[in-house]
Amino acid sequence: MRKGLLLVVLILVVGLALSPCAWAKAKTIKVGINAPITGDIPKVGEGSKYAAEMWLEDIKAAGGLEVGGEKYMVEVIVEDNESKPESAAKAATKLITEDEVLAIVGPQASSQAIPAGEMANNYGTPMISPWSTNPDTTKDRPFVFRGCFLDPFQGPVVANFIKDEFGFQKAAVLYDIASDYPKGLAEVFKEAWEKLNGAGSVVAFESFTTKDADFSSQLTNIINSGAQFLFTPQYYNEVALIVQQAQELGFKGPIVGSDSWGSAETVKLCGEACYGLFFSTHYAAAGATGATKEFIERYEKKYGYTPDDVGALTWDALRIVQTAIESTGKLTGDLEKDRMAVKDALANIKEFDGITGKMTFTPDGDPIKCAVIVRISEKGEFEFYKSACP
Amino acid sequence: MVNDKSAVVERANTRFGWFRAYAAGVPLLAWLLGALVAVLLEQTAGDVLAAILGLPKVPVLFGCMIMLKEPTLIPSALIFVALIYGAPILLLGKVLARPGNWVAARLMSWPIAVPVILHLVVLYAIMYFWSDVSLYRMLTLRLTLIAIMLTLSLNLINGYMGEFSCSHPGFMALGAYAASTVMVGLFVNDRLFGEALLPAFLGPFMFPVALVIGGVVAALGALLIAIPSFKTRGDYLAIISLAFLFIVKSMFENLQFLGGARGIKGQPDYADLPTVFCWTVLCIWIINNFVRSTLGKALNAVRDDEMAAEAMTVNTRFTKMVAFLFAAFWAGIAGGLFAHTVRFINPGTFDLKRLAELLAMVYFGGLNSVYGSIVGAVSINLLGEMLRPLALYKWIVIPLLLILVMIYRPTGLVAFKEFNVRKLVQPKRKPEEEV
Amino acid sequence: MQLFFQHLINALQWGSFYALIALGYSMVYGILMLFNFAHGDIFMVGAYIGFGVATALAALAAMSALALPNWLILVLTILIAMYLTSFVGMLVERIGYRPLREAPRASAAITGLMIGIILETGNLAILGAQRIRFPSLIKTSVYDIGGVVVTNKKIMIVVVSLVLMLALNEFIRRTRWGMAMRAMAFDYVVIPLMGVPLNTIASLTFALGSALAAAAGILFAVAYPVLDPYIGITYGWKAFVAAILGGRGSVKGACLAGFLLGFIEIFVGAYLSSSLRDLIAYSIILLILVFRPHGFFGEPHSAKLRL
Repeated sequence: MRKGLLLVVLILVVGLALSPCAWAKAKTIKVGINAPITGDIPKVGEGSKYAAEMWLEDIKAAGGLEVGGEKYMVEVIVEDNESKPESAAKAATKLITEDEVLAIVGPQASSQAIPAGEMANNYGTPMISPWSTNPDTTKDRPFVFRGCFLDPFQGPVVANFIKDEFGFQKAAVLYDIASDYPKGLAEVFKEAWEKLNGAGSVVAFESFTTKDADFSSQLTNIINSGAQFLFTPQYYNEVALIVQQAQELGFKGPIVGSDSWGSAETVKLCGEACYGLFFSTHYAAAGATGATKEFIERYEKKYGYTPDDVGALTWDALRIVQTAIESTGKLTGDLEKDRMAVKDALANIKEFDGITGKMTFTPDGDPIKCAVIVRISEKGEFEFYKSACP
Repeated sequence: MVNDKSAVVERANTRFGWFRAYAAGVPLLAWLLGALVAVLLEQTAGDVLAAILGLPKVPVLFGCMIMLKEPTLIPSALIFVALIYGAPILLLGKVLARPGNWVAARLMSWPIAVPVILHLVVLYAIMYFWSDVSLYRMLTLRLTLIAIMLTLSLNLINGYMGEFSCSHPGFMALGAYAASTVMVGLFVNDRLFGEALLPAFLGPFMFPVALVIGGVVAALGALLIAIPSFKTRGDYLAIISLAFLFIVKSMFENLQFLGGARGIKGQPDYADLPTVFCWTVLCIWIINNFVRSTLGKALNAVRDDEMAAEAMTVNTRFTKMVAFLFAAFWAGIAGGLFAHTVRFINPGTFDLKRLAELLAMVYFGGLNSVYGSIVGAVSINLLGEMLRPLALYKWIVIPLLLILVMIYRPTGLVAFKEFNVRKLVQPKRKPEEEV
Repeated sequence: MQLFFQHLINALQWGSFYALIALGYSMVYGILMLFNFAHGDIFMVGAYIGFGVATALAALAAMSALALPNWLILVLTILIAMYLTSFVGMLVERIGYRPLREAPRASAAITGLMIGIILETGNLAILGAQRIRFPSLIKTSVYDIGGVVVTNKKIMIVVVSLVLMLALNEFIRRTRWGMAMRAMAFDYVVIPLMGVPLNTIASLTFALGSALAAAAGILFAVAYPVLDPYIGITYGWKAFVAAILGGRGSVKGACLAGFLLGFIEIFVGAYLSSSLRDLIAYSIILLILVFRPHGFFGEPHSAKLRL
C-alpha cells in the first residue's frame, strides 16, 4: 500500500518534470468546430472536419495567421455534438468557456444550430453555421451568422426554373415532415409554385418520417394525382431511394431537388437513375474554375471523394472567419474585446469571394448569394446549368 | 441471492477497507464542509495552481478531458485534482469529524427539517461555487440535475413497479411543450405565438405554474397508456408505451402551431441553477416519501407478486395507475426544465435515442433506489462529458461499461437501497464506539 | 380498385421485413422471456455482411473465369450472410444474455440495447461515415398487370420471406431441435433438468433469429439499397412492437403482426394522411391492444408459451 503510494508520487513527479509545460503561452488563435461526428448525420460531421483540417493545413503552410503584422498560430478544436440539441449547446459552451475559442463554425443542422447559437450569442462569441437554413438560427442574434442561402430564396428559384424550363402546371412534393430543412423548403416551394400557377397547382403534397425507406404509398398517390414533376428537397440517401422507387412505380416526369442533393454521395447511391435530373445548389463541382476547382481537387486527392456542399460551405465559413480576424487589424489578447471585433468585422464583410459564390451579410447575419441550377450529367457529374441571383 | 449480496458487500469492505476505516466516524456535514472548502479553494487558487502545473486552464471536469486529450499532462491534472479536491475533502472531513458530529447531534434535537435544510444549503453552496468557475460546468450541472429527476421518475416505473416503460421521452415531450407554450406564449414576442401577453416581471412567478401544467399534461398523457395497460399483467406496457412514444412524436411533428418539426425556441431563461436545484430536491423528497409510504410498499408488493398482493387487499390496478401517473408528472416537470435550460425543443429531441439514454441511466445506477438514480444520472451524464475527447469511441466505452455493470451487478450499482434522510444527516460514530 | 391493389402489393413487401425481424424477437421472447434489443442492429449487421459478401463474390466472379450468374450471387450472399450473422447472434447471446439469465429480465434488455449501440458505433468507426450502396445484383424488370405495377424484386422479396417463415415453422414443428425449443418455451426451468441443454438451445434461438434478420437485411438492401449504421434502430423497435403484438413467442403471431404493421403503415399513409401516419398507425395498434391485451396468439396469465 505505502510502497504503491510512493511509486505513484514518484511517477507523478517525474511525469510532471517531463511534461511539455506550457510555461510560456504561445500566441494562438483558437477556432472551434461544432460538428455531428456521431448521431444521425455523421457524414456531415466528417465533411466539416475534413474542410477544417484542410484549412488548418493552409494556415500552417503560411506560417500562421497574420493579424496586424503579427503571426499567430491557429488551433482548430473539433467538438462532437452527437446531432442532439442539448449536446450542441454543451459543446458550444465548452468551446466558448473552456477552449476559449475566438469564433465557432457550426453546428450544421438547424436543430443544433439554434440552441448552440443561443449560447454563442449570450456569451458574445461569433458563430457561423454553414448549413442551417432555419430563420430562427440567426434571428435577433447579432453574434450568429450563416453561410448558406435561406428557404424563402431557394424555393422560388426552383419554382421559376421549372416553370421556365418545362412549362409544367401540376407539381408534386414529397418531403420529410420530421426534419426541419425539407419541411421548410417544401412549404416555401408550394407557396411559390401556387403563386405562379394558381391555387391547387400542387396536386400532391405528401410526406414521410425520417429514416423511412419505403415511399411506395406516397409515390403511388403522387403518380395517381397526375403530377408532371416531383420536387423532393431531401438528403441524398433518401433521394436515391425516392428516385429509384418512383421510377419503378412508373413515374415518368422529372424529379427536381434542392441543395441537399449536393453531395458526391447522391450519384454514388443513386447511380444511373439520377442522371439527367436537376437541382438547385450553391456551386457546381464539374467545370468549376479558380479557387473552387482547386478546393475540390485538393479535397478529392486528400480524402478520396468529391466534397459535399457541407464541406464547401464549411470551408467558406472558415475563410470568412479568417478574413474577419485578419481585418480586425489587431488582437488585444482580451478575448471579450477580440470576439466583439471579429463579430463587427464579420458583419462588415462585403462581397466575400467564396468558393460557393460571393456573399455579403444582411443585418440579420444571413448571406446574400446566388444559387445555381445543376444538372447531373450522363457521367454522373454535377454540371452547371443556370444561375439565379437575388 | 441474499448471500450473494452480503458476499459482495464483504468483498467491497475488504477492498476499500482502509478508506472505510478512515471515513468511519465522519458525518456527512463534515464531508460537505470539506467539499465546500475545496470548491472555494478552486475558485481562489485554482488559476494559479493550474498555471504552476502547466495546465492550460482549471480542469473543468476533474481533469478527465485534459488527461484524455494530452496524455503528457496526466500527472499535472492528477496533482491538481488531488490538491484541490482530494486533500481538502479527505483532510478536512477527518479534522471536522468531531465538531461535525457535535453539530449534527445538536441539530438532531430539532425537527428533522432543520438539519436537512442546513445540509441542503451547504450542498447548494458547493454546487454554486463549483459551477461558478465556468459556464460549461453550470450547463452540465443543470442538465445533470434534470437527468436525476428523469431517472428517478423512470425508476419509479421500471424499478419500484417492475414494469418496462418506454414512454418517458414522450412524457418529457408533453411537459416540455406544455411549459414552453405557456411561457413563450405569455412572455416572449416570437414567431409562433405572437406578442407577449403578460409583462416580463410576472415570468418568474408563472414559471413554476407552467412547469406544473407541463407535469399535469404529461400525467394526462400517461392516463391514456395506463387505462389499457394495467388491466392485466404482462409485457404489454412495453409496447403500449412504445406506441405512445411514436404517437407523441408524430403528433408534435404535425402540430403546426407548436412549430412542427422546427420546434419552439427562445424559452425565457428561468431554469437557472437555484430553480433546477430546488425542483430536483423537491422531486427527490416527494418521490422518496411516496415510495416509503403505504402506497409505495404496495407498489413493491405488486412487483414481487401481483397475485399475492391482490390477495392481501392491495388494489393493484389503482396502485399501478397512481405510480405511473406520478412518474409521468415528474417526467413532465423535468421536460419543462429541460426545455428552459436548452431553450429550444423540437420533436426529434424526444426520440428513441433519448429512451436508450434514460434506460441506461436507470439500470446503471440501480433499480428501486433513490441513491441509484442519483448515481446513474450523475455518472452517465458526467461520463458523457468527460469522455468527449474520445469522440466516436465514447459510444463504445460507455456501453461497454454498462454491460460490465449489468454482468457483475445485474440490478445496477446501488440497487434496492432505502434513502433514509435521517440516517444520512445524523452524526456518525466509529464502529467500535457502537459496541 | 387498381390503386388499392397497388397499395396492397407495396404493403406486402413492407410487411415482410417487419415479419422477418419480428420473428427473431419473438423466438427469444418466447423461449427465454427476454427482450433482445440488439436485434435491430443485428439486422443492420446482417445487411452489411451481405454487402461485404456480395461485393466479394461479384469481384470474384469478375476476376476469375467463373461465370457466376447474378441471381446465384444473390442466393449465395443470402445464405452466407445468414450463416455468418448467426454467429453474431450467438456472440450477443454469449456476452449479453447468458451471464444475465438469472438477473432481472430488464437488465438483459439493457445489455442488448448497449450491444446495439456498440454495433452501430463500431460500424461507424470501421467503415466511416459514408453510406453504402448495395450492389444491384438483379436487374429490375417492371410488369404492369392491369395498371398495377409489380417488379421482379417485389415478388422475390415476398416469396423468399414467405419461404423462410415456412421453413422456420417446419423446423420448429418437425425437427428434434425444434421440439426442444418448444419444450423450452413451455418451461425453461424443468426442461433443462430432463437433459435438454439450455445453453445450446439459447444459442440456437439467437442464431436462428439472427439468420432471419440477416435475410431481412439483405432483402431490405435489395429493395432499398442505401445502408447506414443506424438503419436498425427504427425498424428494430417497430418490429419489436409487432413481435409482442403477435403474442408471446408465437411464430404465426409474429408473422401476422409484422404484415399487419406493414399494412397499417402503408394504408394509413395512402388513404388517410401520410404526415399523420405514425400517429394513426400506432393509435390503431394501441386500440388493438386494448381489446386483445395479449396479442393475437398469446394466452392470458400463463407461463405456458407456444412456439
